[in-house]
Amino acid sequence: MNFWFAVLRQMGRNLRQTWASQCMTLLTVSLSVLIFAFFYLIYTNMLNAGDKLGDDLRLIVYLQDEPGPEMQEQLRRKITDFDQVQEIKFISRAQAYERFAKQLGQNKDVLEDMPTDFLPPSIEVTPLKTLRSLNRVKLFSEYLSKLPVTLKVQYGQDWVERFFYFIRLLSIVVILSGSLLILTTVFMVAYTIRLTIMGRQAELELLRLVGATNDYIRTPFMLEGLMQGFFGSTFGLVSLYSLYQWIKIRFSGPGILYLFNFTFFTPDTIVLIIIASILLCTVGSYMSMQKFLRI
Amino acid sequence: MTEMNAPPQPTIVELIKVSKNYPPDVIALADVSLTVETGEMFFLIGKSGAGKTTLLKLICNMETPSNGLIEVAGQNIHRLKGKKLARLRQKIGVAYQDFKLLTDRTVAENIAISMEVSYKKPPVISKRVKDLLAQLELSDKHDAITGELSRGEQQRVTLARAVANSPTLILVDEPTGNLDAATTEKVMNLLNKCKSSGATIIIATHDDSLYRHTDHRIMELCRGKIRRVNGGLQA
Repeated sequence: MNFWFAVLRQMGRNLRQTWASQCMTLLTVSLSVLIFAFFYLIYTNMLNAGDKLGDDLRLIVYLQDEPGPEMQEQLRRKITDFDQVQEIKFISRAQAYERFAKQLGQNKDVLEDMPTDFLPPSIEVTPLKTLRSLNRVKLFSEYLSKLPVTLKVQYGQDWVERFFYFIRLLSIVVILSGSLLILTTVFMVAYTIRLTIMGRQAELELLRLVGATNDYIRTPFMLEGLMQGFFGSTFGLVSLYSLYQWIKIRFSGPGILYLFNFTFFTPDTIVLIIIASILLCTVGSYMSMQKFLRI
Repeated sequence: MTEMNAPPQPTIVELIKVSKNYPPDVIALADVSLTVETGEMFFLIGKSGAGKTTLLKLICNMETPSNGLIEVAGQNIHRLKGKKLARLRQKIGVAYQDFKLLTDRTVAENIAISMEVSYKKPPVISKRVKDLLAQLELSDKHDAITGELSRGEQQRVTLARAVANSPTLILVDEPTGNLDAATTEKVMNLLNKCKSSGATIIIATHDDSLYRHTDHRIMELCRGKIRRVNGGLQA
């Protein structure tokens, strides 16, 4: 009989004798992973949505008058003086009217009585992707609004600001819930193992007296922690995936999910969560066993 | 350092001026010196509270001495740690006075535990368990839950576990306290058999029928001190 055979048999015995507390731990680990992964999934999707929003982000500078070619060149220079930009596009009154009519589609008859030059000319400024932090966009907007020909600058301030604040709040929630759930998982696993140890104090003591090595005593408990980490995180992620599928089916169609292109974790992230969970649970078991073996 | 699987040493247990005190002021053993040769059967006698059990606990490293040196197979057992200590313990079989049985396990599982830690193969363990149960007339209790056995039966299971792994040193604490004369004889036969195969046996007892006609060495303890040693070292 080799070491691993003996250890696996010992682990089988442990599981048979303490299946109720093992199930409770498994449930706790699953719930911890589920809650953490849920917030993390929302967070990553919001970040993706933020990126997408950033792709569409452009500042519209409404002008008092239609700029001539020379003025266009001056404005272009003034804009690039502040920072490099991806694109600068001048929209004349006529182009603005055409766009608006196109946007109205079948309802464009409402424009029939309107003059074709009632919309102000504008410049569409698309900032470089690397410069798209909220503060930077704000500064850029303030700079553009101070140009002498500017009527107004728009970039969906309210919406963009709220969205960025929401993402910041969400990242705090993810960090806090993550930290708390990590602690919960480690302590739950450690205490379950400790309870098992206390319940089997006599047996473990006897094992030491008949010459069992520390590895012989410790390894089955560490394997239990490993299994709890693996199965707990797998159940948690499977539950989250089921929830995700349900939400996708239930809220499919043109809605907020469609807008955000809601996606599940990549395989790499899934593997990472499982590995992290395994590590946490194994560390929890190891800590408990170290305390016992030191006594 | 000498391991127990190295060539056997003439002396297996050596105690030099060993004392054991328990707080606040209980002196369990005082300046006990003793040498036990390899392959010897040694009787430790004395009234209850004389220090017999404490002495056995010190030899198997269940307790640490307050003073003095204890060597088992040439090694200071109280300085050993980790795998070295585990390996030495595998070679010491102990039948405890309080049995230390796993009462929710079967008799076979209780006996097997001392062989499992040495990674003996399952068929070997199974054969040895059956063999020992037959010698102690417990064959019908193979799958019985140990907690449901009588005190006498539990005592025999303890002894079977102590000798199962063929240890080179066997420490037996009151082996016949709950047994009738016929079973006592079977227990002694088993211990004699172990001795014949080279094991050293130290028996702590107050049952004079075990040592009355023996030619083995006997040491009497009284209030933690050696009162007399018969046939060997003098106190």
